[in-house]
Amino acid sequence: MRSLETVELTKAFGGNVVLDKTTVSFRHGKVNALIGPNGSGKTTFFNCVTGMIRPDSGRVLYGGADITRRAPHAIARAGIGRTFQLCRVFPRMTVLDNVLAAARPANLFRGARGRAEVDRARGWLTKLGIEHLAGAEARNLSWGQQKLLELAGVLMSEPETVLLDEPAGGVNPALLDRIGGLVRELNAEGRTFVIVEHNMDLVMSISDHIVVFDRGRPIAEGPPAAIRSDERVLGAYLGV
Amino acid sequence: MPSVSERLVTPGRAAGGVALVAFAAVALAYPSIAPNPYLLSVGIVVLNYAVLSTSWNFVGGFTGYISLGHGALAGLGAYGTGLLVTKGGLPSFGALVVAALLVAALAVPIGYAALRVRGASFVIVSIALVLVTLLVFQSWASFTGGSRGLNVPRPFPGMLRPEHHRVFFYLFLALLAVALLVWWLIDRSRFGLGLKAIREDEDKAEALGTPTFAYKLVVFVVSAFFTGLAGGLYALWFGDLDPIFQFSILTGSYMVLMALLGGVRNLFGPLVGALVVGVALEYFKVEFGNTPLHLVATGVLLALVVLFMPDGVLPALGSLLRRLDRTTDSSIREVTAAELAAQRIGGEQHAQSRNG
Repeated sequence: MRSLETVELTKAFGGNVVLDKTTVSFRHGKVNALIGPNGSGKTTFFNCVTGMIRPDSGRVLYGGADITRRAPHAIARAGIGRTFQLCRVFPRMTVLDNVLAAARPANLFRGARGRAEVDRARGWLTKLGIEHLAGAEARNLSWGQQKLLELAGVLMSEPETVLLDEPAGGVNPALLDRIGGLVRELNAEGRTFVIVEHNMDLVMSISDHIVVFDRGRPIAEGPPAAIRSDERVLGAYLGV
Repeated sequence: MPSVSERLVTPGRAAGGVALVAFAAVALAYPSIAPNPYLLSVGIVVLNYAVLSTSWNFVGGFTGYISLGHGALAGLGAYGTGLLVTKGGLPSFGALVVAALLVAALAVPIGYAALRVRGASFVIVSIALVLVTLLVFQSWASFTGGSRGLNVPRPFPGMLRPEHHRVFFYLFLALLAVALLVWWLIDRSRFGLGLKAIREDEDKAEALGTPTFAYKLVVFVVSAFFTGLAGGLYALWFGDLDPIFQFSILTGSYMVLMALLGGVRNLFGPLVGALVVGVALEYFKVEFGNTPLHLVATGVLLALVVLFMPDGVLPALGSLLRRLDRTTDSSIREVTAAELAAQRIGGEQHAQSRNG
């Protein structure tokens, strides 16, 4: 059972303790949501888990193995893919190359556009509805299209756990529905999701398990129904 | 049915093909048509710049790391070759290959240290490399000859000067061809796609599972190897080395200037840049003598290119050609339902013919 968990994960920037002995574990094979007020440490948590930031202390475990000090690419190869809060694509590459760049080639010195890989990449583009843009440069895409492209790239790298940092940020309601549906569909195929999100409608509708952060610590966790009525959560969000 | 990208011979590609054939023809004929040995030697200097700039572009073009320190790698190749011939007693071209391999080996620790930092920090580290090597080779006079210089014996004793130039012109041309071939091979490989991902967004590439540091280090070593070969070949041709010229910040700056001018994303960008800058440099030197005015003129040239063709000459020419040909105007073009249907049918036929 490969679950993602942290043990007393701590990170401070100067005197600002962003993660404070955070111990949390996510449900494997489920859609997990990580919510909390701005500045509660959600993105820093993602960065520590994926190796982009080195935590001051504590451990990150994936499937029981300690991945705390591993390089980001090694963590990605262990099966954890991620998107970024401010969507990141390779701006001056074509949409197709953006996705191909996420493939894990066995032989580095073969052509980058092998038939099997291109077919797989186009498959993901089709699934996300941006196949018609395959030949366009990524920087010419709209914000929403770039978010879909980023997701296509992450999926191309075949992660078994996907961390999404604000997938609904700045996208229109129709696209929001599509992203929500896609998460459920991909989850049904066996992928685990951990989603940082402020859009409560989306969180409540697609999550199986919700963890609430406040000031770098989990203050509540449980299914959507329980979280919705939890007083500590209301307090953290509304200051009551 | 071929995919969209390989369907057409675009005007840009056609023009590029014609230009390449024309360049190859002129280059091959140049030693015979050059009116005097001086102009032939200018040709060699320009080719040397082209090899150096193409070698630099393995790092600069693919990963976007701007090294001003490649002059030091060329200098090490030159001195390595010279010292292996004079002190080691190796045959000239054996020394050349061994020296280039030594430069490549030395590039492993250098790259290991330098490639940990990005942007301006990397540029400064690369400059430091030039200064350190200059000091070492100037001060260690008992071994390197110091400021008195190092005399490298000619590989072909008894050969007359024009014939000597002629042979080296073709040697540099062959080296340029090999460097371009390797760049092209990397460009179209999966490794190359990973390198370009680093250029675009290194953290993003890393998050997708690309071992970015290893990628950068490998391509830095390849770049150093070709730079060392260019430096060593220059030593065998010119026959006289002085640290102040071999370990000069100017050499690295020229490589950057030429690559940027031609276009770093383009296989032939550094070559085009070397032709323009190299010829201009030699011309300015003749016109203005040994005054720093030739540097001013070069600087003005760079400023003009950066202002009006920020991506370099080749991409500017490419977009000009595209503008003349309105059909491939936009990168996101509307696809009609009929075209989509045609593609789909074509794809099915293709699949059937593969299975059948």
